[in-house]
Amino acid sequence: MRFFSFHLMPYIGLDPSYDGPAWVTCPNQLFDPVHGGALYNRYLDELLYAEELGFDGVCVNEHHQNAYGLMPSPNLMASIVARQSTRMKVAVVGNALPLYDPPTRVAEEFAMIDCISGGRLIAGMVVGGGPEYYSFSVNPAYARERFQEAHDLILKAWTTPGPFEWVSKHYRIRYVNPWPRPVQQPHPEIWIPGAGSVETMEFVARHRYAYMGIPYFSLDVFKRTFGMFRDACAAEGYEADPLQAGWLVPIYVAETDAQARREYEEHLWYFVKRLLPGITIQPPGYTSARSLANILKGAGTFMLNVTDWDEIVAGRYAIVGSPETVTEQLVEALGALGTGNLLGLFQLGSLPADLTRRNLELFAREVKPALEREFPAGAPVYRPTAAAA
Amino acid sequence: MAPLHEEFVDAPVGKIQAFRGGSGAPLVYLHSAGGEAPGLAVLEDLAERFEVLAPIFPGFGESEGIEEIDDMDDAVFHLLDLWALFGLDRPCVLGSSLGGWMALELAVRYPERVARMVLVNPVGLYLADAPIAEMFGRSPAELAEMLFVDQEHPIAAAMHAMEEFTGDVGKSVQIPIELVLPMWKALGATARLGWDPYLHDPKLRRRLRRITAPTLVVAGAQDGLVPLQHAETLVAEIPDARLAVLEGAAHWLVLERPEELAVLTRDFLSS
Repeated sequence: MRFFSFHLMPYIGLDPSYDGPAWVTCPNQLFDPVHGGALYNRYLDELLYAEELGFDGVCVNEHHQNAYGLMPSPNLMASIVARQSTRMKVAVVGNALPLYDPPTRVAEEFAMIDCISGGRLIAGMVVGGGPEYYSFSVNPAYARERFQEAHDLILKAWTTPGPFEWVSKHYRIRYVNPWPRPVQQPHPEIWIPGAGSVETMEFVARHRYAYMGIPYFSLDVFKRTFGMFRDACAAEGYEADPLQAGWLVPIYVAETDAQARREYEEHLWYFVKRLLPGITIQPPGYTSARSLANILKGAGTFMLNVTDWDEIVAGRYAIVGSPETVTEQLVEALGALGTGNLLGLFQLGSLPADLTRRNLELFAREVKPALEREFPAGAPVYRPTAAAA
Repeated sequence: MAPLHEEFVDAPVGKIQAFRGGSGAPLVYLHSAGGEAPGLAVLEDLAERFEVLAPIFPGFGESEGIEEIDDMDDAVFHLLDLWALFGLDRPCVLGSSLGGWMALELAVRYPERVARMVLVNPVGLYLADAPIAEMFGRSPAELAEMLFVDQEHPIAAAMHAMEEFTGDVGKSVQIPIELVLPMWKALGATARLGWDPYLHDPKLRRRLRRITAPTLVVAGAQDGLVPLQHAETLVAEIPDARLAVLEGAAHWLVLERPEELAVLTRDFLSS
């Protein structure tokens, strides 16, 4: 089991009188730059603290024009972390490839981070969220084509001596010859986040990359998703390695279950009610018909529809409680999903700095060692009996 | 009223669904982003006087081949292919909204292939002080408000009934996929042509002078999608064009005002 601390870098303190979506059209006058600067620095401290506490790595991600996550450029954050850490992995999950034109920009910046970190980058590549297609006016009907072409171009840029010419439907570059090149050869480990698109799972399975389940659905949806991913790997003629799958989930640990809920609940609802609205908009042409069918199966369980705490607990939307409770729930869930990477969101919504740090400390001290004993490196993680529960 | 019958033709892009009926001079109907054509009263009315042909554009209904079409250039070449398949030299064209835009793109490039045109609330232009409203990311109910005056119209009422499907899958309750899929496909096909630039072609305006077909632009005075200035601009810049404004009509008036549209079209095409 590998442990990552994932940060969304949310905007805390969104004007209470504003009740619209947190995405695309959320007025940017609501962003206070001085407050925003303080948040960035606080969040970077929280990411770097993960190395001190023995995490295997940290994750940052890309979103634009929203209050949910303040990282239009996760590469900027990753480069700071790369510079200020020495041991842990730095996972960018990911760059939204269709938004980069030319996409060789991704090959360049990822190689920079890999060089600065001495080969600790995990290179995430993502189609980009629905809202981004509104914010960038990039045509969603070509999102999958652009992602595919950009991916092929980046991989070729990393693995084929330059210069060479690239010609595909959406990208034409006369001289592809990026300096620098990545330290990790032939290329950094690649993670692909997905929300249930069948095409994405098949793509990840075909390339033997790792599939990261995009969160905020009930555990049953993830059971089906990771089951489909294992099937996709089997269809490629191999058994999925646990490290090819990662589950992203909010986690909060306190001394007791009651204390955990008391400290955490309001911050979780800030996330659900203030930051999530607008995230799930699906622009036309962005999803194929067969993937839409699969996504709609899970849509009813999306966290936006959850309104009471018992549902949060029952659906494992967040794992909250004493070290014993959190350990027990994670053992069961990880076994059911078979994911060898646990991506914990230890800061969620408006959770303040002191509680975030204590959460990270308690998890690292009390929960992580227990999970390491339960899921030793190299051993299978998937437990069919847990999945059937 | 003369009924239209469904048929399928093999176009270079793939199998195309079409509706055909009536007799007389050929009149091609190009549908809007809603993909309407089957059972359309205005077409059955016009089929009394014309041979009406209503091909369904790739990506809509049961027509294939949208992956072959990336932009209006491809759309125009597809129309030329249809003209050849149906043995049309210089038909009249009736186009609604997206279909009106396609008719314009055809007529600026191949003016000799269009006899006369009736364009109903066409998109295709960008006017800085009168932008086309946002149609993507709207719920069916919001779209109905933009497209219809009468929210009790059967199609408007059906769109209100679909309110649960907002395109925001996170907010969706469990919705039967067969209800969502036709709209999903139609919007996806429309996005290929009209996501960016949004429902317009920056080069279209300066090309309008090339159109030779006498043109009638029909505008709904209460169109919630396309401001009236678009029709006025087209009429000002197409050499032989006139304007008919329907008071108390909105965008999808091919559905809401079929009798008046049939009369206007018949009179204009016969004059």
